[in-house]
This record gives sequence, C-alpha cells and structure tokens, in this order.
Amino acid sequence: MNEVCFKNLDQKDAWSLKTYEANGGYSVWRKILKGEFTPEQIIDELKTSGLRGRGGAGFPTGLKWSFMPRNADMQKYVVCNSDEGEPGTCKDRDILRFNPHSVIEGMAIGGFVMNATKGYNYIRGEFMEPFYRFEGALKEAYDAGLLGENINGSSVSFDLYAHLGAGAYICGEETALLESIEGKKGQPRFKPPFPANIGLFGKPTTINNTESFASVPEILANGGQWFADIGVENSGGCKLFSVSGHVNKPSNFEVPMGTPFKDLLEMAGGVREGRKLKAVIPGGSSTPVLTAEVAMGMTMDYDGIDKAGSMLGAGSVIIMDDSTCMVEALTRLAHFYYDESCGQCTPCREGTGWLYRVLKRIMDGNGKEDDIDLLLGVQDKIMGNTICALGDAAAMPVESFLRNFREEFEYYIEHGKSMVKG
Amino acid sequence: MISNKAKKQIDTWVAKYPEGRQSSAVMEALKIVQAENDNSLTSDTIQAVADYLDMPGIAAAEVATFYENYNHKPVGKHTIRICHNISCMLNGADDLIAHLENKLGVKTGEVTPDGLVNVKKVECLGACVGAPMFQIGDQYYENLTADKIDEIVDGLK
Amino acid sequence: MADIEIEIDGNVVNAKAGEMLITVTDREGISVPRFCYHKKLSIAASCRMCLVDVEGAPKPQPACSTPIADGMKIHTQNEKAKASQKAVMEFLLINHPLDCPICDQGGECELQDVAMDYGSDVSRFTEGKRIVADSDIGALIQTDMTRCIHCTRCVRFGAEVAGIMEMGGTGRGEDLKIEPFLEEGIQSELSGNMIDVCPVGALTSKPFRYELRSWQMNAVSNIARHDLVGSNIYTQTYKGKVKRIVAKDNDSVNETWISDRDRFSYEGLAHENRLLAPQIKVEGTWKEVEWDVALDFATRGLANNVFNARQADKLGALASNTATLEEFHLLQKILREVGSENIDHRLNVKDLNNAISLESNIKLAGLEGVDHALVIGSNLRLEQPMINHRLRKANLSGTSIDVINAMAFDFNYQLNSENIISPNQIAATLAGVLKSVLQSAHAQIPAYLDDVEVTDVAVQLATQLSDSDNSVIILGEHVVNNPQALSIANLISQIAQNTNSTTLNVSASANSTAANLAGFVPGKGGLDANAMLAADLKAYILLDIYPQYDFHNSIQATETLSNDDTFVISLNSFKDDVVAGYSDVLLPIASFYETSGSHVNVEGLVQSFAAAVNAPSDAKPAWKVLKVLADLLELPGFHYADSTQVTSEVMHQSHKQHVHDESIDVKAKRGVNVIWQKSPYAVDVLSRHAASLQATKIGQINSASMNKATAKKLEVTQDGEYLGVPVVVSEAVANNCVFVNANHSTGGQS
Ligand SMILES: Cc1cc2nc3c(=O)[nH]c(=O)nc-3n(C[C@H](O)[C@H](O)[C@H](O)COP(=O)(O)O)c2cc1C
Ligand code: SF4
Ligand code: FES
Repeated sequence: MNEVCFKNLDQKDAWSLKTYEANGGYSVWRKILKGEFTPEQIIDELKTSGLRGRGGAGFPTGLKWSFMPRNADMQKYVVCNSDEGEPGTCKDRDILRFNPHSVIEGMAIGGFVMNATKGYNYIRGEFMEPFYRFEGALKEAYDAGLLGENINGSSVSFDLYAHLGAGAYICGEETALLESIEGKKGQPRFKPPFPANIGLFGKPTTINNTESFASVPEILANGGQWFADIGVENSGGCKLFSVSGHVNKPSNFEVPMGTPFKDLLEMAGGVREGRKLKAVIPGGSSTPVLTAEVAMGMTMDYDGIDKAGSMLGAGSVIIMDDSTCMVEALTRLAHFYYDESCGQCTPCREGTGWLYRVLKRIMDGNGKEDDIDLLLGVQDKIMGNTICALGDAAAMPVESFLRNFREEFEYYIEHGKSMVKG
Repeated sequence: MISNKAKKQIDTWVAKYPEGRQSSAVMEALKIVQAENDNSLTSDTIQAVADYLDMPGIAAAEVATFYENYNHKPVGKHTIRICHNISCMLNGADDLIAHLENKLGVKTGEVTPDGLVNVKKVECLGACVGAPMFQIGDQYYENLTADKIDEIVDGLK
Repeated sequence: MADIEIEIDGNVVNAKAGEMLITVTDREGISVPRFCYHKKLSIAASCRMCLVDVEGAPKPQPACSTPIADGMKIHTQNEKAKASQKAVMEFLLINHPLDCPICDQGGECELQDVAMDYGSDVSRFTEGKRIVADSDIGALIQTDMTRCIHCTRCVRFGAEVAGIMEMGGTGRGEDLKIEPFLEEGIQSELSGNMIDVCPVGALTSKPFRYELRSWQMNAVSNIARHDLVGSNIYTQTYKGKVKRIVAKDNDSVNETWISDRDRFSYEGLAHENRLLAPQIKVEGTWKEVEWDVALDFATRGLANNVFNARQADKLGALASNTATLEEFHLLQKILREVGSENIDHRLNVKDLNNAISLESNIKLAGLEGVDHALVIGSNLRLEQPMINHRLRKANLSGTSIDVINAMAFDFNYQLNSENIISPNQIAATLAGVLKSVLQSAHAQIPAYLDDVEVTDVAVQLATQLSDSDNSVIILGEHVVNNPQALSIANLISQIAQNTNSTTLNVSASANSTAANLAGFVPGKGGLDANAMLAADLKAYILLDIYPQYDFHNSIQATETLSNDDTFVISLNSFKDDVVAGYSDVLLPIASFYETSGSHVNVEGLVQSFAAAVNAPSDAKPAWKVLKVLADLLELPGFHYADSTQVTSEVMHQSHKQHVHDESIDVKAKRGVNVIWQKSPYAVDVLSRHAASLQATKIGQINSASMNKATAKKLEVTQDGEYLGVPVVVSEAVANNCVFVNANHSTGGQS
C-alpha cells in the first residue's frame, strides 16, 4: 500500500520539497541533469514497468513517449491532464495536494525524454487548493534550480506552467484539453492528426494523466522490473482506486494491481451498515456497471475487470448497496453526459439529450413499453459514431444498466414507481 | 472596464503562453473580470476581455458560454456549488439540496433576497470519497450533513 | 505525394497518399453524404454524416477527415456504413423541424435531400423539438436558427474566408447555438456566402424571403459587373424577373464566393425609378413616345446640331464604366463612323493628362502564389472584395503585405507594414523606393532621382520587393486624382521592372478594362471627357451616366450639358432628375442581367453572358438601341443579328494604345488633398437602388475623415460637415488629407 504516488502521504508537510527529497524525490531528475540517464534507457524502463496510462484508456506510457518525434526541430510540449472530472474519480486531486513534486518531476522527465522544453499542467478549475499546492511546489522547484533554462548548467531545459480549467468535463479528453489551453471551447479534435504530430499550438505534444506522471520518478528510481513485479501480468505496478458510494470508509487506496475487489471493499470498510452489495461501477461512471456477484469475484487489474465485463478506466470504484434504485442512478449518469456533451458532433449532442429525456420520463411515471428498446437503440446509434469517447462513455452505462438490471426498468415503466424505493 | 489591477493579473497569465498566443489566457481573464464585476459577465465585459487579448468578441463569448464557471446572470455574493452526481447522490445529496433550499428559502438557481447566497447544482467536483460535498469560493466542504451545512451557511457574510 | 491504389466498394481507385477519402469519392463520383464538409473550408468532421466502413478499423470513419493509405478497403454502402449514416440522420432530424413545405430552403436543402435517402418515415423521438430564438443579423441574411444543424460552415466561413469571425457557437451540448456576438449583426462584405454554405434553411437570403421555391426558378449563368473581377454567378429568375443571385464556381475567377454587392444588387432592378419609356423634350416638357419617334427625334437632333453643319467633331460620347464591351464598341464605332474622336469613359479623373496608365500582368489566381505584395492607395477589402480575398489567402500561407495608404483601413489580414502617408508624399516615397532598389542593385540612378531622399520606410519597402521572388505591386483607386497620379504609376512600372515584380492596376472600376479594349478613349485629335465638357460641344450621346455620381466635377458637367444649344441623347436604365434636366431625349435601356454582352476583368479575361431576363416595359438592351441608331444614321457595318457578332468584331479589331507619357515628377507637394471615393455600395446605379445593400453598415458609409491637424487647418469641426458630408476626426488619416467616402460624387468642390 501507498508505495508510489502516495509514498509520502502520512508524513509531515507531505507536499513540501523537503519531504519529497527526503523520500528520494528528484534523484532521478538530478541524474538526468548529470547525464546519467538517456531517453532510450528511460523509455525501456517504462516499457518494462508495464505502466499504463492512468487517465482511463490504459495506453502503455513508455510506448506513448516513444511516438514523439523527439528530434524534430521545433518546440514540443508535455501536458499533464489533471482535469479529473469523471464521476467517481478523485485521486489526482490528492496527488496534487499531497505529492505535487512527483508530478513536476514526472513531467520534467517526460520533457527530457521527448525533448520537450515546455510543459503545462491542466488543472480543473474547481481544484483551487490543489492548484495552489502545485503552484507552491513549482516555485520551490524553480527556487531550487530544478526547472528553467539550462538547468544547473546542463543542456536540459524545462519550463512548467499550470493552466486552470473553468468547468467542463470534456476538457479531460486530451484534445479538448489542448483546445482549452489554447483559450478555446473544449471541443475535441478529430484524429488523425494525433497530438504527437500536431498537438498544443500545432506542435508535437504528449498528454498523460497526473497519476501516470507521478508514477514515473519512483519507477525510474527503483527500476521498471520492481514496478512490474508489484502488479500482475499486463498491469504493472500499483494503482490508486477511489472507492466511493455506499461504503463505510470511502477513500483513495494505492494498492497493487490484481488486488481482489473484495479486499479493496474491505479496506473501504465494507458496504455500509446492514446493507448488501448490489452493484459496482469499477472504473468511473462511463465504465459498465457490474452486479455484486460478478464484482466479488473480480481482481482489480486491466484484464481482471475486463474479464468481469467492464473496464478499469480511471480506477474509480462506485459501490451501490441494495437500497439503490438503478433507474435513478442511470438517470443521474445520463444527465451528466447530457450536460457535459460539447455539442459539436451530432450523435452525442442529440443522443445524450434523448437518452436523458426518455429516462426522465420513466422516472416521472410516463415510461412506455418500448422505452427500453428505444434506449438500447439510441445508445447503440451513439456508440462508435462520435468524434471522441464521450459518446461511448454516455452509451456504455445505459447498455450495462439495462442488461444487468432490466427488471427494475421494466417495473418502473409498468408501475410508474421504483421497484426499490417504492 | 478592466481595472489596472485586473490587467496585471491577466498579464501574469499571458506570460505563460508563447508569444502571439495571449488568447490562451482568456479563461482566466474572464474569471478575473467576472470577480471584479459582481461575479457575472456581460457582453461588454466579454468584449473588453476580447479586446484586451486581441481576439474576436465572439471567440471570447464562445468560451464564456461553454464553461460552467462563468455567470451571465446576477448571482449571490457566495455561490454554493453542490454536487448531485452519482457518489454524492448515493450519499444523500438530494436531501441536502432540499435542506439547503428550505433553509435559504430559495430554489437552486435563485439568489437569496439579500443577495448573499445562491445555490447551484453541479456535476461531479472530483471529491467523491468525501461525498456529499459542496464548494463555496475556492473551498471544498466534504462529508456534509444537514448540521454541518447549517454551520457553514450561517457563517457566510 | 505518392500514387496509391485503394478499393472503394469493391472497385480499385487510384489516388494520392494522404488525400482525404471524401476528395477521392467526390472525384470518382461516389456519393457520400455530408453536412459539415465544404471543399473550401477547414475540416470539422463533426456532423458525422459521412461515416463509412474502413476494413480493419474498429469504428466507422468519417470520409471527410480520413487520410487514405495504400491498400485501404472502403465500403461506403455496406450495412455498417449505412447503419451509421442512418443513425446520424435520425439524430439530425429529431430536433429539426419537418416543415419543409414552409421552409425557404425547401427544394435546395442538403438535409432534405439526404433525408429522402436515409430518414426513416416515423421518428421515434417524442420528446418535443428544440426551439431556438432567432437573432436579427442584418439586412441581408434571414435566420431561422431552429433549423440549424450545427455544421459550423458559416462559422468557419467567417473565420477562414471572410477573415472576421462574426458567427460563433455559444453554449455547449444541446444548447450549442450558432449566432453572432454583437447586436450590430453581420458586417462582412462577403457575408452572403454564408447563405450559400448553409446546407439547410437556417441562413437564407433576406431580400428573397418567402418569394419562391428554388425549383420554380430558372438559373441563368451570368457575370457580375460591379468590380474588376467579373465573378461568375447564377441569376435565378421567375416569370421574367431576377429573384435571386447565387455564386457559380469558377476557380480561376471567384472560386466559390461572391461579394454581397454582386449578390444583392439585383434588388435595384425592380426599383420604381427604372426608366421605362422613351421620352422626348418638346419645348421644355417631357413627352412619352414610341421608340421610332424617339429615335427619329434623336437622329434629327444630331443632324440639326452637328451633321448638317458638318461639325461631327462637335459630337461627343461618354459612357459609364458599367457598360458592356459591346456597348462600348458600338458607341465608339458610331462616333468614329461619323467622324468624331470625342470618346471617353474616364469620367472621374480630374486631370486626364495626369491619368494613370499601368498594365496588369498577373492573373487573379496568381495572386495566391505571390510571396510579397505592396498595395498602394486602396481599401481593397471594400473596393475589390474578391481580389482582397485572394490576397488574404496568400497572406494566410505566409505572403507579406505592405501598404501605402492615406488612411488606416480595416484589413482582414496581417500587414507587414502599414504606411499612412499624405497623398502629397506618395510619389516622393516611391521615388525613394526606386532609388533604393537601384542603389542596392548597383544600377545607374537616373537624374530625376538625384535629389530624392531615401527614407527608412523606402529602404524597407524596397528590400521587401527586391528580396521577393514573386511580388506584386497593386495600385488602387485612391491615387486616381492624386496630383502626381501619372508619376506614381510610372514609378511603379520602374520599380516593378527593377524588382521583377508584377503589377495589378485596380485604380479603375467595373468594366473599364472592356472600355479600353474597345477603344473607348479619344483618338487622334479627339477630346477627352474633361476637354469635351470644357469645349461647348453641340451634341452628346451619353450611356447610362448619372452626373452626381459619375463625374469628378458634377456641377460643371451638368452645367455644360445643360447648354441651350447642346443636344443630349441619354441612354439610361434609371430615371434621374439631373439627367432629365439636360437631356433632350431619354432612351430607356436594359440594366444588369437584362442584356447580353461581355465583361473584361482586370486580368483581361473576356467573359460573355446572355440576358437572364428581358428589360422591363419598353426598355431595350443598349447595344440594340445603338445598332438601330446607327442604322437610322445610315452608317455602314451595323448588321448584327445578336451581340456575339459584336463581340467577335471587337476581339478582332486592334486599337492603337495611345502614347504613354513617361514623365515622372518626384517632388513632394504641399497643401491639403482630398481623396474622394464612392462608398462601396454606391459605385453603380444598380447597387444604389438595392435597398437591402443600402441598409447595411457598409451601405451607409458616408463621411469625410481627417486628422485633428488637418481639421484645424481647414477650420472644420467634429460635428460639422465638409464638402456636404459629416466630418469624422480621426488620427487614422494621414496629415494633409481628407478622405471622403461618400455615396455621391464631389459636385466639384474638391
Ligand atoms: C470524455 C473524456 C474525459 C476524460 N477525462 C479525463 C480526465 O479527467 N483525466 C485524464 O487523465 N484523462 C481523461 N481522459 C482520457 C484522456 O483523453 C487521455 O487518454 C489521458 O489523459 C491520457 O493519459 P494517460 O495515457 O496517462 O492515461 C478522458 C477521456 C474522455 C474521452
Ligand atoms: S462525442 Fe460529444 S463530447 Fe465528444 S466531440 Fe462529440 S459532441 Fe463533443
Ligand atoms: S462531412 Fe464528415 S463529419 Fe461532417
């Protein structure tokens, strides 16, 4: 527990440079500045470590870094995604609050590997406490001569800035995030071209999640194999899981990949008093919901959750007990995607509103017999047809809620009221 | 329309971006100007920001209307931004919203007659393990109960 | 880009690697539905209508934004592709009104067309459609935003082509609303193109509103004649009336776009001021008569006043620059047949001995390829919108542009340098440029440059031109009446020669290139326009002239023409009191789109057109009137069956260029200069009668601008008037210059 991103969590002034360095922080960066690490070595270590992107898609970080045209003669950027907006997710906030230097060091290392001398950390606009912590850490790092131009007389330069969001979940999507840094609406770009070729300000750019960056220094300090060994095959290392909902002790837990779900549930104090587990959303609101039965047999790693029929996503575990009305829960999620659709592409703009309205109608007691088919049909028409994955994210809960809890929907339509709440 | 102090603040943001990319600072500039103008924006203030950053007015208006955190109608001195998304909902957010509305005598979206407070239902604020929660200003308040809410709201001036 | 093979719907197709799939399918005639894609705009890939199945790709791919690669196998029609296309269509229709019969776009709606193929008959959407409030965006464009499908073509048009982002998408998700920000509405001189790019009935033509259905109209290919470009258009007509004008693609002329002036001026055709019947003035009173009577009256007048006394040299002909090539030809031919060389179309030039003569030796499309441009004396954007558009395109891909103007105008691109200098200094500045060019080439410096000072500005401008491989110098209207106009033109020639630059002369207007081609200028012994008006001629034939707009000195012109013993035959398309005052016979002629003929654009391209409609009432095409007049005068060689015979005659005749005066005066002058320019929508009689154009902000431009120092010198105040127009005191104007942008001409006060 708590070996990487949360390593300093329980220490005094966890977020300070002093604490960070006392725990071995910036040792990798200093080695780089002394020329003791090459970009190739770092990419190899990352590949060995099995670190996969913690922002949701799980793309191998080492591989992603190797895509950057590091020798291209132009400005390149690294960007950190601290937009954290997926319902159920609140881990990056704690990294920024308690271990901001790990993000700075991780980004600086990324900058060195990809020959990008500038970085931006996109922090969601509501995260003011994390923002101030990060800015404080930045100042410490600059004052300590760890950032800037030709750092410590080396040929390495890295400047890092924080950019604040202003309230839009879609800016977590990496290309919407780039638009947002450019001072525009957060509308995702179509791909190709990919950010590694044309990214921020039209320049090659790599975007990683906060946790991904924060994991890098510790991985390089201890070696890729060390990290890989913590986890399981295909899911190297440990991961932060935000466990929320109907549990006694909701919290963030940094645990090895492959930890059984039921152990994680136990760490969170189990399902709240006197209640029975009903359903679990394992990776954030857009990942398919699982029944208690399936969840209890699952391990918390990419393959384990995949086998159970869902996705690890951002590791946001939402626990629902038997008092939960699944119609109400889905309606709330549908409202979220409806509210957060950027509006540029047709299926998402029109489809998310349609889904929400049908569900709302069911909740209002005006459901129709063929509404379930209608919902399934509409989500299917969104799925795969949109510019970015928000469309899919809106569709997947609908499909999985209806598949796993269809009778609750049928009951609501037939009786005009909730099967659970009456 | 934009005070010198605000301009200075905006300039520190402009400095973060490459030359000629000053419109990257528009999001913060709008926030700064909004804070100076009773917490809401008008077409005039949006245009002033656009002019200051040398970008088309409509481009600034796009930004000002796309993101949640800008207001286009008068709001209270304090906006209570209460999350009603899944984790908070599972932990009783709806009851707390009702409690807030009762206590303040206004619905979400309305401002109290003294202009002090308004309540806004918002989507996930990324503090799910502290649900239910709300935000006032820069501050998050987590693991809320009706009593806790009373105490916080009573302390607002 | 390499040539590769891909497979579309089972057929092998050759293409270039990296091309977008939709470019290939369009070229191959394979129909892929689309809404957001427009070949002249950036890719948005947001409507998702063009989704197709690419083998190996997990999801359907948008044809508009999928670059092709060798061996790709694409299905545009299989089940997967169709399912996606149908899904998108269904989503588009849930919030779109299904009241095509009352929509102004009905019959020419891209959504309607595609829906026919894809839409299921019954929508399962029962949640109530979205209603979007409309905003009034000005006199030209009607909005019905409930119909908007958010394709953002209009937004991209504004940002990318018009160069001013006026429309935008505010809000997000379902609340995304396409609208302008400011209440003043849309201001661009190209705004009407948004109507063309809008695939649905959200943006339609305001003047055309509720008039007709597109399928009820005939579309006639035509040429717009308001500027030096000759944009290609379709005039859409119904029951003999022009009802609407839309752009016609011609990549080498206007691409896909037309200016608002070209699009909306047709409204003037139906104005009540049209001259509809021939009239003769008998003892001071006007009488409507039959054509034969009027023409007989005209020929008798000419006989009495000039021919009987064998005084053909007392006859003069003047024509407006909007006449057709054929009209210029016939009128000059009549004059020359009867023995007069008093022929001219240059009505607005104060000193014709000082008239600009500068060739244009670059193609319009070629403007996009220049790497540097120097613009002198022009507000290009409003004067020649399509030329400005080409330059803007070039600028976006890196072309540097320097400007020498007497006033700072609102260019819609980045200028390398904007030099605001007094009109009196232009020749001296250019002389400095020439000297600098010659100096750095170590060439011999001619004596007239000896005393010329080479300023920093001159060096900078010279270096730009010398260092560019492919530069153009553009000379504009504001120099026409510069005291050193001729010298400026000659200096430009010299600079161009010594820097290998091309030149583009946009100092004249409309169809003036045709006038020159037809030899509509005084020949040997002939009088120019100014000389004629000073010489007490005994008779005139005037072609569509309106003195208070066309002559640089309308008062003097009107006085001369009003002489008791001067017989004036006026061919006009509109009624006009001043014209009626001095004329003896009024012959109603066809206006734009009512006559066949040719326009010759600035690059020399001759574009012929047929009449789209008949002239109203008794009005006749001027070429026919001139032909009959010639017949009545028993002149030989006027046996034309149609105007194309006239065209080929002009094209086969060569007119001697008059001798070019190469003198150059480089000394800066003193005193205050007035640059008098007609407002963009007052340039010709048709535009002036187009109510919607006049109601726009550009249509209402009418002011005399000068800086504080000049205002003080002239003792005029901010809220006063100067030369009959409201005064604007602005430091945008150079010293010692009054820039008048008026909807009428000087009246001789300047
Ligand atoms: C709608 C949407 C929202 C997203 N939100 C986030 C987010 O809040 N934080 C994040 O790191 N990634 C988010 N992502 C994923 C990013 O697009 C991207 O994959 C990620 O930041 C890459 O970093 P990683 O490789 O380190 O995971 C989101 C994706 C989508 C489609
Ligand atoms: S899927 Fe939704 S959020 Fe993503 S680009 Fe399309 S409209 Fe925007
Ligand atoms: S035309 Fe391709 S997505 Fe719109």
